[in-house]
Amino acid sequence: MSGTTDEVKDKQIGKALVLPGDRIGSAEEFVPGHDTYVSGGNIYASTTGVVDIDPESRLASVIPRSNALPRVENGDIVVGEVVDIKENLVILALAFKKGYESRPLPELDATIHISNVKSSYVKDLKQMFGLRDIVRAKVVDARQMRLSTEPEDMGVIKAYCSSCTTPLVKKDGRLECPECKRTEMRKLSTYYGTGLV
Amino acid sequence: MDERVFIKDGIRLDGRRFDELRPIKMEVGVLSRADGSCYMEMGDNKVIAAVYGPREVHPRHLQEVNRAIIRYRYNMASFSVEERRRPGPDRRSYELSKVSREALEPVILTSYFPKSVIDIFVEVLQADAGTRTAGINAASVALADAGIPMRSLVSSCAAGKVDGQIVLDPMKDEDNFGQADMPIAITPTGEITLLQMDGMMTRDEFRQAIELAKKGCQEIYRIQRKVLIDRYSQFEDLQDEGSRR
Repeated sequence: MSGTTDEVKDKQIGKALVLPGDRIGSAEEFVPGHDTYVSGGNIYASTTGVVDIDPESRLASVIPRSNALPRVENGDIVVGEVVDIKENLVILALAFKKGYESRPLPELDATIHISNVKSSYVKDLKQMFGLRDIVRAKVVDARQMRLSTEPEDMGVIKAYCSSCTTPLVKKDGRLECPECKRTEMRKLSTYYGTGLV
Repeated sequence: MDERVFIKDGIRLDGRRFDELRPIKMEVGVLSRADGSCYMEMGDNKVIAAVYGPREVHPRHLQEVNRAIIRYRYNMASFSVEERRRPGPDRRSYELSKVSREALEPVILTSYFPKSVIDIFVEVLQADAGTRTAGINAASVALADAGIPMRSLVSSCAAGKVDGQIVLDPMKDEDNFGQADMPIAITPTGEITLLQMDGMMTRDEFRQAIELAKKGCQEIYRIQRKVLIDRYSQFEDLQDEGSRR
């Protein structure tokens, strides 16, 4: 065994912290994982944390110990605003990930495909979402940023009247505008109007 | 100017030798509202650094499509110097904000966060020569505290020339009445990200000053490391305690 591997093992066992710029190993022995970077054939830590090496894949990553940035992964719950509705796709501008409310996700767009909106058939997406709606959704594909609102608690959590932009209120399972009495259709989350995420 | 004696028997006005730094005190995570923060004392300099981000850029036209932009605000409090300073940015603080930003920019992995901004605020509470270097040291630790991916930390300190002698980390009188002042910032691998100088030095003195300042930076780097490790291993212990209970 080379000295560097032993060094890394020590770091794992001792749970020693690595700081940005600390060498983890060479790019030949490990695959660089998250919170690392490669420079001159070596892998270095890019955040303060503990080294984690997967023995199977030889993936070397750092588990952050400082105030970690939110990383969106499959199964995460995120909240965003509808910025565009296409034929069979809704585009959301993500605001934050559940549990990381104070750390916004910067300028991240995500999509919900018509097939992931709810478990039954969706004929028209405009009946499910409106522009500027706030949506709570689950991440199904973090790489392509695809979301789903299929479960009960996912969907629109705040919506605005399409004719007068007043926030809509939930009444007998439907959305009604308190100003112009117009009723609208949405894929509602059970969290609608509760102010919770 | 020339009547003043700065060095007597190899000892400076404040009792240091040529190659000694002023006492340093650092604390990580002093602000609860910021994403990352650090308080630092370098002798009589007292600075506080706060980091926010990556977050949305406002105004929008400043954003870059392929990377995060860095904004650095160096500000001196009105009470930080002997005579009250008019609050607000001036020519000097604009310049220091610019060079300090450029001292940190090369180590931050900005390409991970397109269309966003990382804001760094450095407030000087008390000044005693070398506030820009203290600001960079504090900001670099605050960035690590905020969990922003970086190539490495940045350490910074100045070398100066008084009574014809190259000295490390000049204090106020040495800076004001000395012959030269040269702040530098380097990464632990020795890449220089900031180099400024005023006054006069010969080529040899310049080389000597760089070597001395590098040594000072290495010492500061050790302190930066130590405070970060202390802070986060302590955090880990606390977590362990919680799960055991």
